[in-house]
Amino acid sequence: MKPFDVVIVGGGGAGLYAAMEAMKTNPSLNIAVLSKVYPNRSHTSAAQGGANAALANKAKDDTVEMHIFDTIKGSDYLADQDAVDVLCSEAPKIIRELENMGTPWSRMEDNTIAQRPFGGAGRPRCCYCSDKTGHTILQTLYEQCLKKGVMFFNEYFVLNLSVNGSRSRGLIAMNMKSGKVEAFPARTVIFATGGYAKMYWNRSSNAAGNTGDGQAIAYRSGIPLKDMEFVQFHPTGLRKSGLLITEGARGEGGYLINKDGERFMARYAKEKMELGPRDLVARSIETEILEGRGFDSPAGTYIHLDLTHLGADLIKSRLPQIREMSMQFEGVDPIEEPIPIKPTAHYSMGGIDTDNFGRTVMGGVYAAGECGCVSVHGANRLGGNSLLDILVFGRIAGHTAAQEAGKFESGTISETELKEQLEEIRGIMQSSGHYERYGALREELGQTLALNVGIFRESSLLQKGIQDISELKERFKKVRVFDTSDVFNTNLMQVLELKNMLDLAETVAAGAYARQESRGSHTRVDFPVRDDANWHKHSLATMVNGKVSLGEKPVTMGRYELQERTY
Amino acid sequence: MTAPIDQHNETKKDVTFRVFRFNPQVDSKPYFDDYTISVERGITVLRSLNYIKEHIDASVSFRAFCQAGICGSCGMRINGLSQLACTTQVWDVLVKSKEPGIIKIEPLRNLPLIKDLIVDMDPLVDKMKHYSNWIDSTMPEASMGQKEFLISEEEFLRYDKATDCILCASCVSECSILRANKEYVSPAVLLKSYRMNVDSRDAIHEPRLAELVKDHGVWDCTHCYRCQEACVKSIPIMDAIHGIREDAIESRGVKDTSGAKHAEAFMSDIEKKGKLIEATLPIRTNGVVWTLQNLLPMAVKMIIKHRTPPPPPLVKSAKGIKVFRELFREMTEHVKQDHKSHKK
Repeated sequence: MKPFDVVIVGGGGAGLYAAMEAMKTNPSLNIAVLSKVYPNRSHTSAAQGGANAALANKAKDDTVEMHIFDTIKGSDYLADQDAVDVLCSEAPKIIRELENMGTPWSRMEDNTIAQRPFGGAGRPRCCYCSDKTGHTILQTLYEQCLKKGVMFFNEYFVLNLSVNGSRSRGLIAMNMKSGKVEAFPARTVIFATGGYAKMYWNRSSNAAGNTGDGQAIAYRSGIPLKDMEFVQFHPTGLRKSGLLITEGARGEGGYLINKDGERFMARYAKEKMELGPRDLVARSIETEILEGRGFDSPAGTYIHLDLTHLGADLIKSRLPQIREMSMQFEGVDPIEEPIPIKPTAHYSMGGIDTDNFGRTVMGGVYAAGECGCVSVHGANRLGGNSLLDILVFGRIAGHTAAQEAGKFESGTISETELKEQLEEIRGIMQSSGHYERYGALREELGQTLALNVGIFRESSLLQKGIQDISELKERFKKVRVFDTSDVFNTNLMQVLELKNMLDLAETVAAGAYARQESRGSHTRVDFPVRDDANWHKHSLATMVNGKVSLGEKPVTMGRYELQERTY
Repeated sequence: MTAPIDQHNETKKDVTFRVFRFNPQVDSKPYFDDYTISVERGITVLRSLNYIKEHIDASVSFRAFCQAGICGSCGMRINGLSQLACTTQVWDVLVKSKEPGIIKIEPLRNLPLIKDLIVDMDPLVDKMKHYSNWIDSTMPEASMGQKEFLISEEEFLRYDKATDCILCASCVSECSILRANKEYVSPAVLLKSYRMNVDSRDAIHEPRLAELVKDHGVWDCTHCYRCQEACVKSIPIMDAIHGIREDAIESRGVKDTSGAKHAEAFMSDIEKKGKLIEATLPIRTNGVVWTLQNLLPMAVKMIIKHRTPPPPPLVKSAKGIKVFRELFREMTEHVKQDHKSHKK
């Protein structure tokens, strides 16, 4: 195959923006997007709430500076302040750019883009399209990529990065339709494969495929991962499925109520109440549940998200998807009765360590979006900042890769390398001595993570979690792939995804065990306070001889000094 | 995935999933496999399929991603109707089973089959490209990002529903035209085309419309409404199709294409006679040459079998034609008025 200048892995918001921007930067380049699903299926579509930008359409006194401060404070001061500067300064431009390309934003009375309040934000600056914001952004980007003639390799599962010393030669991927292992020699590679929170399996709001494929491949290639221990639990997942009810529901005025009929957030965030930052609200709900003030049911203890006082009109016009999901997955109409919810693993703040341009330590390898970690979210991401992150840094990574592609030689990927990859897959697929069920391993991984590496963490629990993961990795060596077909072998793909999740789970648990403080989403019961003297730093996880090796990296400070984080 | 076996104390039912199977590597033709599992209330078809894949037969192949009804991956035919497996309740479809206790699961129709429940989506993507299903902005790329277009809530509402489309292809699968003609534009692409055409930011309304009125385009739809009935997001797809047609007649005139001419001939017949003058309909729609080239053999057969429609002079007006004409005039006036106010 002809060598590519830029190959992008992942067709969500970050990947598509990168592709579009790379083509804009240099139309003569040979650019391709590889995605294990059709790009319009990507998990960006599930983002309901919106994207933050200080457009000042709603609150006329909103400023980029306020957005920056909210983001840094929300991150519990672990975000790099120069990166946050980029994120928030680019926000108004990128939202307008999307608007100019055709994204259907909801509108205010003066015909400008509508904005609503969101958790942890001092002003209503979250731009939205009813409760389908991510979906409409993804559609727009996909449409624009089709218009520009971006080359798509849909339903290709990336297996490995081909590495030559300190730089990459391209990728090796499996064509799902044929089962063939194919080489994608490339000058530059951008990983934009989304997050890894699906490792919590049933206690996760994520799509089945959010298995951190890009991060796992980078990690196995020796590229460090940053801040992996920070996993955000969304306060309001549906009781039975873990599926998400957007923060928009609280933005529009929803209440959180315990079984005593109490709006308990008054105890935890007197001023912001239900619109406190996510980590705080999730912990508050979990505390209510642990202290016996939740509702009991056969499907687990839960609390109520009450929207009934908002009225049928508002719910139907502003939160139609929420209503549909509550009815489809819980049998509850939020117009009539409260929605049963509990916290669910939702977002991974950690990811491939990059600089502000999306560059990793390996020449020609970039990362963006939830897959990367710049870091703009630090220890806790604010609602409405994730869509923004994928757009801003997707674009930057695309631009940078297109500009720098000329710096890197186009490598070749040898037949031997392809053969080795094929052998590895054959090894996994062989039946003799392979008997472990992947479904069981996957579910056990989710359980141990939720119990031992979940919202409340503690030394002995974490040790148990680390032990469990290591045992699961052993058992994985005997995992059985029952489907022997070459054509669209979803069984094989799920097993390979499980391998990625297991590798990453180790880094999450190791990072959580090492970090002896509580910061943002990471709550250690045995170290309940933030310890700036010892832990105001990023953690780095690198694979050395197949094991996690932890390192650190300083946080880039700027205008804002460390402060206690209260709401 | 939690087993669909009980976590609740609700009653359970034994349900047999009769799943369409085909692996092109080994099977010469498709067949069905039966899987019987115990299912409680509140369990979706997708969770049941996941359970079957994890516990009974890992080779059963289907697509699924978000499992929350927003990504559109798991479109399939469940008891004959195309829908999303992740938002379809087992107990709800069980009521509609032809054979009690059996739910039939088949791949979507009208798209090439790859394996089991997986079909090839590329033809749909190709059509999206062919009909320019994107906004080609009136704003030059270089000036983007500086300021917003001002868009009224009213305009937003014109395409709000259409942008709910998740391209699950349920409408494609149910479309009766596509079954006969794979080249037909397809409902999802018409919907997207409409969405682009009513967006004031778009600069290629005319060329897109010109493509839509060609063969295999918007005039081929026969208003069976099956796309709309199947839509998992309850989008009024037929409104979009009618919208494109009205737009085509208004901005391109009635003599533009055979589709427009056909519609015009219908209107004029109904106004004059209260019924169709079928004998000359092909000539008025497609012209003399086309009719002679394409319909002559059929006409000869019809003559032999004495099945020819009566010649125009012999078509009598329908009973009560005077009253009808009055109603017809009133109705068309009404529609015209409606259009005017809508345009504003």
